Amino acid sequence: MADPTKTPPRFVTTTVEVEGRTEERVVEVPAFPIEPWGPEAQLTHVGARASRVDGLLKTMGRAPYVTDVRRPNQAYAALVRSRIARGRVTAIDTTAARALPGVLDIITHADVPARTRLFLPEITYFGQPLAAVCATTPAIAEAAAALIRIETERLPHIMTVSEAETSETLVRPGLSHNLMGGGPKVVERGDVTAALATAEVLITREVRTPCALHSALEPHAAVAEWEGDRVTVWESTQGIFRVRDNVAKAFGLSLAQVRVICEAMGGGFGAKNNAGAHTFVAVAFAKRLGHAVACVVDRPGEQIDTGNRPSTWQRVTIAATHDGQLTAIDLEATVPLGIAGWEESPGDIYHELYACPNVRTSVRIAYVNTGAMAAFRAPGHAEGSVGLEMGLNALAQALGIDPLTLRERNIATHDQRRGRPYTGNRLAECYAEGARRIGWTSRATRTASAPHRRRGFGVASQVWSTGGGPPAYATVRLNPDGTAEVLAGSQDLGTGTRTILAQVAAEALGHRLDAVRAVIGDTATGPYNGNSWGSMTVASLTPAVRMAAEEARRALLDAAAGILTVAVDRLATHEGRITVRDDERSLAFGEVTAKLGNVMIQGHGSRGPNPDAVGIVTTGAQFAEVEVDTETGVVRVLRIVAVHDAGRIVNPTLAESQLEGGIIQGLGYACFEERPLDVRMGRPLALGLHDYKIPTHADIPLIDGHFLEGADPQANTVGARGIAEPAIIPTAPAIAGAVADALGVEVPDLPLTPWRVLAALQHAPQRHSP
Amino acid sequence: MRLTLNGRPVDVDPPGETTLLDFLRDHRGLTGTKRGCDRAECGTCTVLLDGAPVYSCRTLVHRCAGRAVETIEGLGTVDAPHLLQEAFVAEDATQCGFCTPGQIMAAVAVLARDADPTDEQIIAGLSGNLCRCGTHPKIVRAVRRAAAAMRTASHG
Repeated sequence: MADPTKTPPRFVTTTVEVEGRTEERVVEVPAFPIEPWGPEAQLTHVGARASRVDGLLKTMGRAPYVTDVRRPNQAYAALVRSRIARGRVTAIDTTAARALPGVLDIITHADVPARTRLFLPEITYFGQPLAAVCATTPAIAEAAAALIRIETERLPHIMTVSEAETSETLVRPGLSHNLMGGGPKVVERGDVTAALATAEVLITREVRTPCALHSALEPHAAVAEWEGDRVTVWESTQGIFRVRDNVAKAFGLSLAQVRVICEAMGGGFGAKNNAGAHTFVAVAFAKRLGHAVACVVDRPGEQIDTGNRPSTWQRVTIAATHDGQLTAIDLEATVPLGIAGWEESPGDIYHELYACPNVRTSVRIAYVNTGAMAAFRAPGHAEGSVGLEMGLNALAQALGIDPLTLRERNIATHDQRRGRPYTGNRLAECYAEGARRIGWTSRATRTASAPHRRRGFGVASQVWSTGGGPPAYATVRLNPDGTAEVLAGSQDLGTGTRTILAQVAAEALGHRLDAVRAVIGDTATGPYNGNSWGSMTVASLTPAVRMAAEEARRALLDAAAGILTVAVDRLATHEGRITVRDDERSLAFGEVTAKLGNVMIQGHGSRGPNPDAVGIVTTGAQFAEVEVDTETGVVRVLRIVAVHDAGRIVNPTLAESQLEGGIIQGLGYACFEERPLDVRMGRPLALGLHDYKIPTHADIPLIDGHFLEGADPQANTVGARGIAEPAIIPTAPAIAGAVADALGVEVPDLPLTPWRVLAALQHAPQRHSP
Repeated sequence: MRLTLNGRPVDVDPPGETTLLDFLRDHRGLTGTKRGCDRAECGTCTVLLDGAPVYSCRTLVHRCAGRAVETIEGLGTVDAPHLLQEAFVAEDATQCGFCTPGQIMAAVAVLARDADPTDEQIIAGLSGNLCRCGTHPKIVRAVRRAAAAMRTASHG
């Protein structure tokens, strides 16, 4: 029993999973308990297909992206980049650039604070920024950048994992070994060697996945403007507070001296989680020149130096019993990471997705002389699922079992990595619903559209931690006219954050949706929230918004009780009115707030701790139907059926948009996208969107995306989990499985370009056309 | 030189190498037209030149002398949106929204050619406009919805 005289602790620690990594965090315990909205809760705005609140502005071209910010006397900066992969700068000649009319300033290594790490003379990858020029227009800045002559001394570069492992040379200063951690990262559960030795059925496959580029259409961009000793930075970012932190550290400023604003954001997908060279260049020039400076990364810079999903090689061995129970999974994988990045492992999903007592993953992550990696939608899982699912398909074939049946027999009923239950895993329902929608059992009756084409079907599954967590904060305040504002230092990447915050606040207040507005994207006005990454925003932030709204509602009802002279427990709110139980009287919110004048009704909300000893995941299954032209090798994806369990869906329309988006990115990963590398010259060859093909309108299949009805009240008070990253994970392996099904032979390497398909077909068993 | 910009004649004298995109964004402050690649790859800069969609980043403004340029700013207003803009909102055909003005301008040209286009015609007309968020299915649906609304409006 708790001692009632003792105040419970205000701060406790809790566990939060971000992009597959587990973190311990301090969290403030909410001031009062809130009953979670369970599956049975009758809700008005949450769960409704509300229109995206900034949709109309976007169609008008009036959403204020960073590239559209225009400040007084704003100047424009351009970066000058390395044309070699490794070496050192020996001389920089800026004479010709300085002579160009309109050029205002040029900066190189000596002109910037060391903590920006800008313009390092040691070149460690092609595309590394070495200098920057600022001019009155973007066109002049670009022209001047081309006039800056940089002499370099070339040193041998390292582009592959095997080179990195065997070379005496370190790919960059500061490393003690070219392999992250000095060797393979081995994670083992059970006894894989013993299980393999006694396997009833055993398959081994090797697959390769490509290096993929985020390719947001809005490039990375920053505008900086100083006012005295304080700087405002407009940044296209997934994390305004993180950028504030980055800028303060780089320039030796206090956090209070830096304000970061991101009103509208043209896509990030993981590449816009930090300040970049462009940010620091804008801040540095703006300080030197005394007026605002914009730095927008050009498209080649965007494709070579703003992050990527690294390529992988995976060799997967799976053992099973004759009736299809997995007994061992063994993965060996390599990842050429780039010059920097974090440990994103294709191995994690092997431990997690399917039930298996013995799992070992050995992953060698090597630093190489290419641009740094950055988290890209489901980093690690999207890569790992390709190998794992292709292994499962091979196993199904070896066993003579339907690939869907094999998966249904091996559903992970609990979190195997940590030996704890899930708050829910309805993968079995996802399989059943998806199979029904695609017509899985009757798929053999669907024939190809021409004799030289072949039809195929594939299935793949997904698991991803989507519990989110603290810290996340919101303030809800009522204006004297009764309208409400939600203040939160979060950002809307195009996911619909603004819309769902308004929905949750309107629900908890009992207000009209059109009377609630979310104000986000500014470190100066909203309380702290973390980055919009890891499919975390909904599950992290909406409970804080709900709490803030509940607190504001309590204050409003207290005021109304005084006006109506009734007990507060007889009051209720609905669509902006306060009603009295067993009484005809009612008041509009505005009537109460008007009486209060400028006395503000405000509620503060914080995200409480995560539940102990449970795993919170989104799961799902996707099914692909493809047609492959055996003469040209062209893969045409005809249909994707996706069924996911993400707890409560706050806004089905927005959730579907995001689901379709993940599927289409997954289709690009499966079929088209790869950054080719000239290993000898040490340079990437895709400098634009002609060389790096993302899906176009002509490539889009029919998409049937569906979320299971329900809610996860154990996860948080809104009952919602994330969906952004789950959407992409199964798409590529489902398509690859369908192509293998169509051809009767696997195409082991992604993307499934015509030449890879034709090469695989040469080894295919002869088949009669239907 | 003189050109017609969103229905109004404007007299301008930009440097010879100025692209239509630079002219719109950097000289006229019309930032609704986006610069996604500046190399004729992405379509975010799509505007109409005498009614035909062009990549403004690869169109010199001097080529527009005596011609009519239409941008997203000339299409509709928040109070009186164009039916395509309404349809894009109704179908949630925006995610990040950065490609949206270009998609809509390309769609204007599609619907000017054919009041009742097939999906194939819509897709062909928009295939020069990339979208990275994966909003394609809803964009095509929005164009279809707008086409129906425009047909109704012209019959009514």
